[in-house]
Amino acid sequence: MQSNGRSLYTPIPMHVLRAYYESTDRSLKTLELSFDHAENSHAFFEAFNPGQFCLLSVAGKGESALGVASAAWEGDFVRFTAQNVGSVTSALHKLKAGDAIGMRGPMGNGFPLEDWKGKNLVIIGGGCAFSTLYALTKHVHHEDHRDDYGKLILVYGTRTSGLCMYKHDIAAWHENEDMEIHQAIDVPEENWQHHVGYVPDVVRQVAPSPDNAVAVVCGPPIMTKFTLPALDELGFAPEAIFTSLEKRMKCGVGKCGRCNLGPQYICKDGPVFSLAELNALPADL
Amino acid sequence: MNLILEKQALQDLLQSWRQNYDVYLPQKLERFSHFMPLTETSVLVTDEPHNTRIPPKSLFLPMTEALVKFTRYGGYEDARHEIQPRIVFGIRPCDAQAVQLLDTSFIQDEYTDPLWLERREKTITIGLGCHEPCLNGFCTTVGYGPFNKADLDAILTDMGDVYLVETFSQAGDACFQGLPVAAEETYQEALAVQHSAHDQMPVAFETENLKEKLEQNFKNNYWDEVSQSCLGCGVCTFLCPTCFCFDIVDETQRRERVRNWDSCMFRTYSLEASGHNPRPSRVERTRQRISHKFVYWLDQVNQIGCTGCGRCVRYCPVGLDIRSMLRQAHSLPFEVSHAI
Repeated sequence: MQSNGRSLYTPIPMHVLRAYYESTDRSLKTLELSFDHAENSHAFFEAFNPGQFCLLSVAGKGESALGVASAAWEGDFVRFTAQNVGSVTSALHKLKAGDAIGMRGPMGNGFPLEDWKGKNLVIIGGGCAFSTLYALTKHVHHEDHRDDYGKLILVYGTRTSGLCMYKHDIAAWHENEDMEIHQAIDVPEENWQHHVGYVPDVVRQVAPSPDNAVAVVCGPPIMTKFTLPALDELGFAPEAIFTSLEKRMKCGVGKCGRCNLGPQYICKDGPVFSLAELNALPADL
Repeated sequence: MNLILEKQALQDLLQSWRQNYDVYLPQKLERFSHFMPLTETSVLVTDEPHNTRIPPKSLFLPMTEALVKFTRYGGYEDARHEIQPRIVFGIRPCDAQAVQLLDTSFIQDEYTDPLWLERREKTITIGLGCHEPCLNGFCTTVGYGPFNKADLDAILTDMGDVYLVETFSQAGDACFQGLPVAAEETYQEALAVQHSAHDQMPVAFETENLKEKLEQNFKNNYWDEVSQSCLGCGVCTFLCPTCFCFDIVDETQRRERVRNWDSCMFRTYSLEASGHNPRPSRVERTRQRISHKFVYWLDQVNQIGCTGCGRCVRYCPVGLDIRSMLRQAHSLPFEVSHAI
């Protein structure tokens, strides 16, 4: 968490560099934000780790917690994808290039990338929760980091093909021999050449090996709930399964109280937890 | 230092502090007492058999305050607050203890709340010990007490015509400079008053293994039973000296982002934009409130997050009593853990 000499609660000024719809139904919009002041950019990238999130602020509407969907090497900007569900996110959807916006972050712990070095990564995502996994994949897949990790296996499911995010990169990754990608949609569509079915079933079908591997699961609660037993069946230990949680948040710095899971605050102590850690916490999700 | 303060001299002493400090003390407000700034005509309330209705946490975490100002062209700046040096006089030990507990949440290295910190640093707290048991209080049960000295610069013991003043810091010494030093036997008398007050506090419930019992019975029907009559009004959390949850909302016309006290007893507290609510009913919300105080605080700082002030008992509109809830919790099934 960077302070820039400001209060914990005061956003830094950013502006929208690019804004575009991510899904064909226009429920998902991606915003790429750049920093108004270079010192804020330095401080951000000094602290940033894939898996972290930020609070985007629209004056008069409020703040919304969104996972960072870009890797540091991509450039001097930060990417987020927002689903249009509430008052802040609908305000975010109205933004266009050049508009001012506030941001606080990066917040939370992010993925334990150091601990994962030398291991095979099984990245399992569903729907718009794929954003931080996208950042993770881009980070790991970059030539500077690729050799630090073993095999890279990606499973990504969406309800329809139109809801698939980051289509350009995903399409390119299918061509890439350096990673294994399994894409799925819930119901059959014409000309769809990948899996049809729910993510837990696809995981069972793909059956990634648990040997020297960690699995990262991010998706809607229902997907996560049924994917964890599938990984257990495949032999993944609770210490080797990670997920990123979310709850309603306000402050993002462990003060306002609402995102607690037992004694832990998802905003400050999370959002990334191993299944072993979650098993020791109350089931208050 | 142990000093003697004549009760008659108190008013003049309070007034003398006003030259350099904003002085807050409990004063009559409608049917209750409330911490308000000292004026020339202020009267200290000491004869109520209970605490102020609103806990003095409000002096450090106001019910509502601006955090951020919206500037022109979509910018943001810190909201500015003039915080004067202050003396909080007549704070009861349970409330002072509560403020110290809240420090552990608000003062955490890079996660320090600047407004909380500034108010804490600029405040001298002078406690008034409780020489008679208050209604509904249970401070000794949760490990504190009627003369608990945590977080105080000085504490007063009521001894009839005089107060014995014990000071614990330079700031405390300075406030009472010039008062006569108490004779050893007066001090011993005061200690006797303090011990007798402590002994008169009833044990409200057992705390041994309480944490483990609550943890192990996270899914027990107990929670349905104890939350059955709850209305979800939130008064227990609103008036709790250790509750610190706040909401952040934008006040468009004032062009400010504001924090307001919030309560885990409200439905919207944890309601997510998707419609999912991890605590959808008063059962889960009651469990969260009790578990926070008697389980999670212990995990975080190894202290019970309740100071036994008794406000939640006193002001609950349906008479829910945390003491009997926890007595009942003690009869829950429990397995002793042998893990080291």
